[in-house]
Amino acid sequence: MAATVRPVQRKEFKFRESSYLPEVLRGLAITTRQFWRNLVGQRDIVTLQYPEVKKRYPNRFRGRHRLMLRDDGQVRCVACMLCSTACPANCIHIVAAEHTNTSIEKFPQKFEIDLLVCIYCGFCEEACPCDAIRMDSGRHSLPTFSRSPQNIGKIDLMEIGSLSIAKQGGKNA
Amino acid sequence: MPTLKIDGQEIQVEKGTTILQAAQRLGIRIPTFCYHPGLSIAANCRMCLVEVAKSPKPMPACHAQCADGMEVFTNTQKVQETQKAILEFILLNHPVDCPICDQAGECVLQDNYADYSLSPSRLFTKKVHKAKAKPLGPKIILDAERCILCTRCVRFGDEITKTGELRVMSRGEHSEITTFPGKTLDNPYSLNVVDICPVGALTSIDFRFKRRVWFMSATRSVCTECARGCNIRIDSFQNKIERYVPNYNPKVNQWWICDSGRMSHTRWTANRVTEPRNTRTESSKTAISTRDVADEMAKALVTSGKASAFVLDASMPNEDAFVALRLARAVGSRLYLGGRAQNGPQDELLRLADRNANRTGISAIAGPSPLPGLAEFQKDVASGAFKTVLFIGGEHEGPDKWAKLLEKVSVIGVLADIRSDLVDIAHIVIPAAVPQMREGTVVNSHGRVQRIRQAIRLEPAGVVFPYWRILKRIATTAGLEATWNSERAIFGEIVASMPQFAEMTYDKLGDLGLPLGSNGLSDVDVDAATRNIDPSAPQYRKTNINSRMPWQH
Ligand code: SF4
Ligand code: SF4
Ligand code: SF4
Ligand code: SF4
Ligand code: FES
Repeated sequence: MAATVRPVQRKEFKFRESSYLPEVLRGLAITTRQFWRNLVGQRDIVTLQYPEVKKRYPNRFRGRHRLMLRDDGQVRCVACMLCSTACPANCIHIVAAEHTNTSIEKFPQKFEIDLLVCIYCGFCEEACPCDAIRMDSGRHSLPTFSRSPQNIGKIDLMEIGSLSIAKQGGKNA
Repeated sequence: MPTLKIDGQEIQVEKGTTILQAAQRLGIRIPTFCYHPGLSIAANCRMCLVEVAKSPKPMPACHAQCADGMEVFTNTQKVQETQKAILEFILLNHPVDCPICDQAGECVLQDNYADYSLSPSRLFTKKVHKAKAKPLGPKIILDAERCILCTRCVRFGDEITKTGELRVMSRGEHSEITTFPGKTLDNPYSLNVVDICPVGALTSIDFRFKRRVWFMSATRSVCTECARGCNIRIDSFQNKIERYVPNYNPKVNQWWICDSGRMSHTRWTANRVTEPRNTRTESSKTAISTRDVADEMAKALVTSGKASAFVLDASMPNEDAFVALRLARAVGSRLYLGGRAQNGPQDELLRLADRNANRTGISAIAGPSPLPGLAEFQKDVASGAFKTVLFIGGEHEGPDKWAKLLEKVSVIGVLADIRSDLVDIAHIVIPAAVPQMREGTVVNSHGRVQRIRQAIRLEPAGVVFPYWRILKRIATTAGLEATWNSERAIFGEIVASMPQFAEMTYDKLGDLGLPLGSNGLSDVDVDAATRNIDPSAPQYRKTNINSRMPWQH
């Protein structure tokens, strides 16, 4: 398919614009007008008094990750590493280990997500074959004073986890 | 010589060639499970069925031999339907555990399903369940549900190791691989069954759950555990070696390697020497560098002159040996050939008693008179002949107490890749790279020159170096001329000066190596070699460490 090229004509600055002064004054006028409107009229304010007042997020908002649980409260993740394979930011670090229960076999001994590196793309939950990782918590990652608390581990991820309705092992298991 | 047509392409083959092998030569892929070129043909999986003109039923390509005038079709509708049916049958009770299965990513069942079926399961009853994670021996775990009963593992035990531990038990859908009652699967070659198992039924305890296979980078190299020089693939991830697996070489190891060779990478990772040490001078410098200790060593060698000795490691690559010999002869040192034990386990299959990788190569480079061994060294050193001794390599088969033997020696230096008693008592320890961190060539006991390749970066960077680089530094400090800048350049000099290596280059050595004295001409029948590659083995991207992206290392 041939690409269509549409030349865009740039507008030349006139003397009025390139001398800046009238434009700056015009900008100040808008700011001042808005200031008085907000102060006196209290109309059309888009700013919220966060965190006292919160906005409802859209249903598909991708928040902080959570790890889902099995019926007995153990982690649902089987350490297949598909999320860390899909992750474009390389921020999921899993160490797999052998489970004592042979019907579970493999589980993540360590599961860490570096939220500062994460770009909240959602590829991880998309990749997970076990409905084990989700980003539907609706929560932000909270600000911290150092980097390390942002590298959240299995315990933190499971704390906001819940049961999944998917049947572990598939329908004919 | 029958001539036949496969998918319209004509080919002439020797008598006895199977349809599968003929197709392989034409580059036509026929899916397989149970066929392995190194084992007898069982033809039990039926994955390779092809249509043959005038034959009422499809034929297994791995078993059917070519006949004159045969016309084979590998891609007709009938063949495609057969392949789908076979895969549906094999997958009927398959657990499809892929997320927790170590084989995922290099699984022949996954590949064949993706390439030839992609039909959903029509099973509406419960699947048959069998043993999960059942140890068959100290090194291997069986998942009986994932087994497709190809009997490759059974045939390996019967035909290659002749130990016959494994059998198929029960019938029909309850069939299961098992060991004889009271027996375990534990022989020196047992881990090969993990490689040949086309699915994830057999997994090695050593590698289990360690790393998903698609994360790893593959490097072709040679095992340095014994004088056989088996070809291996080093799989590494983030500069860590994760496993060794065999690579096919018709002239050395065929498809196999021994278990101790396979596990030998742990020896290199666990005991590395990563810090220079000098216990002779109470240096005021808090941090000493590898260069400092190398310079110190050079001074000691020059001062001692004829009262010094070099003990070479019979595993060190040719390039290092060449530089070491030049240096030792220039300084006037005596030369000895040390190394690991020469009385290791030996058998007809692969393992050789000499646990050193390059005795033949070093002897070829050292010239007509053989280098004296460690026994002579012990005699000479006990007589007080040496003031300075430089050991190359950390591992030398020695007396119980190196300290006692070497007490009269005033400077003991070691170019150490790996920790040992000798390294502990040495005055000067110069950390050196392990073989997986460098390029080089080694010569196996049958005189085959083969390349070892760099699989991981030098680490810690700026502290460890390949032997030849350290030796070059010593030579320069000692006032000698040393102009080598790479393993390739040194190999070039070896080739120029040793008629046995004539005409060889790293590129000509390639993947399969060349015999000494071959004048650069390969002795491998490429045609036969292609025919003997396991057709179901997944293809690995060969990676050169220099072309990998930083996150791939
Ligand atoms: S949201 Fe994207 S970047 Fe973040 S962990 Fe998941 S896959 Fe990685
Ligand atoms: S994809 Fe899901 S099951 Fe697999 S490791 Fe990630 S969270 Fe665990
Ligand atoms: S053997 Fe292959 S198909 Fe079966 S669970 Fe393992 S990876 Fe999946
Ligand atoms: S365990 Fe593996 S090699 Fe052995 S019969 Fe089963 S699938 Fe084949
Ligand atoms: S029957 Fe031919 S590969 Fe199994």
